[in-house]
Amino acid sequence: MSDAVVLTLREQPKHALIADVIAPDRFASLDATEIAALPVVHGGRAAKLGDFFKVKGARATTLRIEGDLANVEGIGTGMAGGEIFVAGSAGRDLGVQMAGGRIDVSGDAGDNTGGARPGASRGMTGGEIVIRGNAGDELGARMRRGLIVVIGDAGRGTGRGVIAGTVVVFGKAGPGAGRFLKRGSIVALGAIERPATFRYVCTYLPSYVPVLLRYLRARYDLAIPDGPITGRYQRYAGDMAELGRGEILQWVRGEA
Amino acid sequence: MKINGVTIEDTFAEAFTMRVARIVITGRTAQWAREAAVKLTGFATSVIGCKCEAGIERPLVAAETPDGRPGVSVLFLTMDKASLPEQLIVRLGQTVLTCPTTACFDGLPEVPDRLAVGKALRVFGDGFQSSKVIGGKRYWRLPVMEGEFLVEETFGMLKGVGGGNFLILAADSDAALAAAEAAVAAMTDLPGVILPFPGGVVRSGSKVGSKRYKNMVATTNDPFDPTLRAATESRIPEGVNSVLEIVLDGTDAPSIDTAMRAGIRAACRPGVKAITAANFGGKLGPHHFHLRKIMA
Repeated sequence: MSDAVVLTLREQPKHALIADVIAPDRFASLDATEIAALPVVHGGRAAKLGDFFKVKGARATTLRIEGDLANVEGIGTGMAGGEIFVAGSAGRDLGVQMAGGRIDVSGDAGDNTGGARPGASRGMTGGEIVIRGNAGDELGARMRRGLIVVIGDAGRGTGRGVIAGTVVVFGKAGPGAGRFLKRGSIVALGAIERPATFRYVCTYLPSYVPVLLRYLRARYDLAIPDGPITGRYQRYAGDMAELGRGEILQWVRGEA
Repeated sequence: MKINGVTIEDTFAEAFTMRVARIVITGRTAQWAREAAVKLTGFATSVIGCKCEAGIERPLVAAETPDGRPGVSVLFLTMDKASLPEQLIVRLGQTVLTCPTTACFDGLPEVPDRLAVGKALRVFGDGFQSSKVIGGKRYWRLPVMEGEFLVEETFGMLKGVGGGNFLILAADSDAALAAAEAAVAAMTDLPGVILPFPGGVVRSGSKVGSKRYKNMVATTNDPFDPTLRAATESRIPEGVNSVLEIVLDGTDAPSIDTAMRAGIRAACRPGVKAITAANFGGKLGPHHFHLRKIMA
């Protein structure tokens, strides 16, 4: 057993590499050889994880991945515990249907981060994903529980069809954010393009936002200024085309 | 043993095991947090009549609270497991929930024994409430006319200590009061301890039961009442004309120990003849605080 399993990308995949076997709780009972032998799909063909990654360490619930993983898809799929640290960017389907644990990405993340598998009714059901760069489209789509934080911008359809849970976007959230939101919250510290089916309800101090932002500051060492922690938010209820019990909280910039 | 000329009697305070919760109340300002804490801890001097004992442990600066606002830490004690959540639900619902700007957090997050207090309070939201899980803890957001009240779903419960005490025997009532005030000042804000009585001081210390009224659980502590010196088996030394008691509850015995040491030392001042303590011969409470051992 070691402190962490370290995967180092040694060969840049020419095609999309579907590596949904990469999950710390899955690695917790495997040695380096067994981890390297796990199946992946490269350009539609079967391959092994060890064909693309050098594996160091064994039987640990902390996983560090190094290299440009923008072409590596499905990291952390269905994980229920442990931690993944990605030193760089990650491809699409990061943390799809994850149920617990933490994923911390220093770069960008692709589409459908924290979302659902094709045809599935639910996305992630627990855990935390922090993207220190930008996120692709449909961030947190159909998530049922959990927390996703994007320090940069998020793409189109952020929080699309969220059933419950929290998405925090520090930068700009693209068009269609929160569409079909049932419950759950999208906390927007930057600009957000709301669907017309959201209704403004009030401007106030949402009680949990300071707790959440201070937690993120302490847990992930994020440089969050005091403004969003002590400031007021405009609350938009929606999606009125759905249950209408969700919310978009937009920070009122410039107020203390 | 004497400290500053004051006799420390060779006796001990006898205290009981109680169940304790620590409640952290925050507010827009320290004053609003305190307003809620004062109401929450009102009429909570003794389990004999109030069913709970509570007091403000210490003020909290913004950096110490989960939401970064000023706050107050309150200790809340009952005699048994079942009555702690009952009392908390009723009192938090009527005092902290109603107080403008406040939020309510658990002050014992590491304790495994959990009380579903916020979970019970959530129904005030009449179905409009919602919850958030942050860092593995669930918080309930209750919509209120002002905006939103946040309360943690569960609160930790510990086995605490109730009934630590010492008695200040003084030449007159002014000296007794001054010594009691000095003791309270020395013990205020010490972690893990509260002084549940008014201003931290009790003038009507009690004995168990009654000599005359069989339904009475507690009656006047006549051995320490100077006006009854001739009518009862008095334990008041010559020259003593007034007695005040300090009662302490806490999260653990070492905290009570530390506070008693600070309080007794501060109470040993001119006009005070002796410091003693109330006990029941060691038969009722498992925690014994020997005055001379504490002050050694």
